[in-house]
Amino acid sequence: MSMLEARGVSKVYETRGVETIALRGVDLSIEGGEFTALAGPSGSGKTTLLNLFGGLDAPTEGVVVLDGDDLGSLTSSQLAEERLHKLGFVFQAYNLIPVFSARENVEFVMELQGVPPSERRRRAMAILEEVGLGDLADKRPLEMSGGQQQRVAVARAIVSQPRVVLADEPTANLDSKTAGTLLDLMEELNREHGVTFVFSTHDPMVIEKARRTVRLRDGAVVADERKAGSA
Amino acid sequence: MGTGIWRMAWRNIGRSPRRTGIVLTAVAVGLAGVLLAMAVNYGMVYQMIETAIATELGHLQIHGAGFDQEPGIEICIEDGERLATRALSGIPGLEAWAPRVRSQGLLYSPRANVGVQVVGIDPAREARVSVLADSIVSGSYLDGQRRKLLLGEKLASRLHVEVGDKLVLSVQDVHGEMTGEAFRVGGLFRTASGDLDRGSVFLRIDEGEQLFGLGDAISELVVIADQRSHVDDLKREIEARLSGDLEVRTWKELRPLLVYFVDLFDQMGWYVYGAVFVAMAFGIANVLLMSVYERIREIGILMAIGMGPRRLVVGIVIESLLLTLLGVVIGLAVGTLSVWLLRDGIDLSRWAEGLTAYGIGTKIVPVIRSKDLIIPTLVAVATAVFASLWPALRAVRIRPADAVRHI
Repeated sequence: MSMLEARGVSKVYETRGVETIALRGVDLSIEGGEFTALAGPSGSGKTTLLNLFGGLDAPTEGVVVLDGDDLGSLTSSQLAEERLHKLGFVFQAYNLIPVFSARENVEFVMELQGVPPSERRRRAMAILEEVGLGDLADKRPLEMSGGQQQRVAVARAIVSQPRVVLADEPTANLDSKTAGTLLDLMEELNREHGVTFVFSTHDPMVIEKARRTVRLRDGAVVADERKAGSA
Repeated sequence: MGTGIWRMAWRNIGRSPRRTGIVLTAVAVGLAGVLLAMAVNYGMVYQMIETAIATELGHLQIHGAGFDQEPGIEICIEDGERLATRALSGIPGLEAWAPRVRSQGLLYSPRANVGVQVVGIDPAREARVSVLADSIVSGSYLDGQRRKLLLGEKLASRLHVEVGDKLVLSVQDVHGEMTGEAFRVGGLFRTASGDLDRGSVFLRIDEGEQLFGLGDAISELVVIADQRSHVDDLKREIEARLSGDLEVRTWKELRPLLVYFVDLFDQMGWYVYGAVFVAMAFGIANVLLMSVYERIREIGILMAIGMGPRRLVVGIVIESLLLTLLGVVIGLAVGTLSVWLLRDGIDLSRWAEGLTAYGIGTKIVPVIRSKDLIIPTLVAVATAVFASLWPALRAVRIRPADAVRHI
């Protein structure tokens, strides 16, 4: 069974009577443990597809299935629960809650999951150490660099032990060295924790790292490439 | 709800100090103003009640049956003082009692005559149940003096008499016969009760009993409780000890108008609270709405990490609650401090003439009741919840995909 699946998914936005087609009948299946990039130029529909996979938006047509659950059949509260327990998100920037420290940002997801305080603290510190930010645990986002903030966002995304991490252009605002470090980190987490990663990106470095690249253009899948040796 | 939501709400309050400051100031000033206004209003009502109790009513009065409907000299308590000594001794919560003889009369001076309330008192006992002894402004109280009258300053002025002048008091006795005696003005008093000062005259109870032909009978027994809150219990205890042909009435039953005033001020209080808190609700809602719009992306992130609609609403309601309660604490502190600073009273001597008609003195001491602290706090909590629902519902209606794209 696929971890993520889009079946005949279309998405049409309407702004002041003008219709914009973001996705046209996309069929795509992503298995557990994949490290996949959704690539394409701006306006190709990659972020829209990522939002549909994350239940942040609903398709105009078609079905999105996460770990066997049809997201279209869930209420907004059930979708929130689905995101809480099965998904982690990393966005381009401003990922973190500014009034929380790095540790509190990471802990908050676990608090929503009902993890006891002592375990929350232990797991948050362990994951921050793992992403190399143990020393900055008590810093607030504004006291950290963009790369450090993205690493905290990755730590927060995986600390809840999700099935899938959806990352929307996670390296877009980072210099190439920081972006490389972040990608290495995500790859390592994918390998060691078995977490499925799906990126939307047009960064060649990310595409290079991905073991599978799904290329989108004008809202449709135009290529689905797997590197030799990947499942 | 976890501590993280409370921590986030608390820290969000500090994110826009100017806006938070404006809301806190509005809530605090509004509340302090209401509290002070209520304290001054209740101070006036309290003084009206205290004046009525201290000059005339006492906490309780005991009369012969029927006195309530048709007060008259013929409705009296036979051998009243002995009865009181026997029945009222050793009752817990009873501070003091005093006998009185009371009826109407006509007071003649060489230059005028005035219809008056004639009250015979036991000077020593009366001093423990009323402020009369402490209200003498010229001459002296009745101790040991015979054929002396105490008059209010205003009554003396109407009669054009001073201390030592001669007056004739004419009354109808218990048999319906007109009778009269000559007295001298022994002392003049001034109280916060305009009615008492203008229309009452006091004499020794034995002279009153003689004048009205009552023998050992008296018109009423006035009782003072150790605390006003014990009055109802005291009434039940006294009623149990007395025979059925006597009536025991509390000050509330004797002067229902005072109770009406208390109710009226309470009702006015609700209108004032209502007006202040409706204005406050709009201010809070406005601030929270602005705060929500400024944090749309953040709300999107919270939705993305799995914070459901219910928790989002609760988070915003908590933010409103903390903001409002902070304002309430400051407001109540400022209001209470203002009342404390005015503890010596607000001087209203310029309006004294008008106020004494209502039994209010020249100084109003604001009085805070516990409910004046509790009710605004509860109303503020309700206002905070009510005011935050609109911004909170706006927040959860935002589509997560739009929110996370928002900069």
